[in-house]
Amino acid sequence: MNVLTFFEATPDEVDAPTVDDLQAVTEDVWLALVGEDEVLLPRLVPPGTPFDATGVWSAAVTISGGWHGVVTVELDADVAGRLSARMLDLPSAEDAEDADVADAVGELVNMIGGNVKSLMPGPSVLSLPAVAAGRAVFASDVTEVCRIDVAWRGGPVRICIHVPNASGGSR
Amino acid sequence: MRAMIIDDSRAMRSILRRIVSGLDFETTEAENGQVALDQMHAGVVPDVCLVDWNMPVMDGYTFITEVRANPEWRDVTLMMVTTESEQRNIVRALAAGAHEYVIKPFTPDAIVEKLSLLGLVPADSAQGAWA
Repeated sequence: MNVLTFFEATPDEVDAPTVDDLQAVTEDVWLALVGEDEVLLPRLVPPGTPFDATGVWSAAVTISGGWHGVVTVELDADVAGRLSARMLDLPSAEDAEDADVADAVGELVNMIGGNVKSLMPGPSVLSLPAVAAGRAVFASDVTEVCRIDVAWRGGPVRICIHVPNASGGSR
Repeated sequence: MRAMIIDDSRAMRSILRRIVSGLDFETTEAENGQVALDQMHAGVVPDVCLVDWNMPVMDGYTFITEVRANPEWRDVTLMMVTTESEQRNIVRALAAGAHEYVIKPFTPDAIVEKLSLLGLVPADSAQGAWA
């Protein structure tokens, strides 16, 4: 998968996973959740572009301890519905209720976040996932340091890693 | 054989249920360790528990220590299925009484292989894709 990624901070300046790390983790998780017959495709998204889906589901987990960071996932609502139907073995995305989508998207960010945690210095603790219908808004004291934009079945998916501003991600 | 799937994610329980049901396990589910313990105290004692670590109310590690503290449940096989992959925590879980440890994401074959190593399914039970 060729994933286009943009940094708002120079990678050398922060202690954070690389784009390749995040890409590999995401591919592994996606494959495990939806199977081998569905692939993520790269998306060309210029730096600073807001997530461009009309309907969005967002989720985040926080990593704290030996390393501090926040892993976020944003999905087009149709993607979130289809993913939920796949994970819950529902007949179609239309059969996925909001609670189903929240559950599935939460598990997605939990798995990605857990694997990101394993790449960084520990010991650290992973929070329970926070999930919202709509765009996530992040506090001003964190900086996005790693991002991948991909598409699944034509719908956009964005995965980001944020670290605290003052510490550069490592306390 | 009976399997209890303990995970706060209904989607993950669904995925695991399909895998172990394909191996002819009867399944029960719990959304955290406390609910699982309550079920076991009520007489629903499985042959194997597939246990997530990071759950609200009671996490998987605490659940394992509680199960191992009860001699009546000594025959219950415990398998962690979790994103928690720090070596120290894997060692903690195994020392507390977990028999096997699977890190998410996993393939169905990985679950089958672990169950086979535990002697709970025949070695040739790999079933391919579940979806």
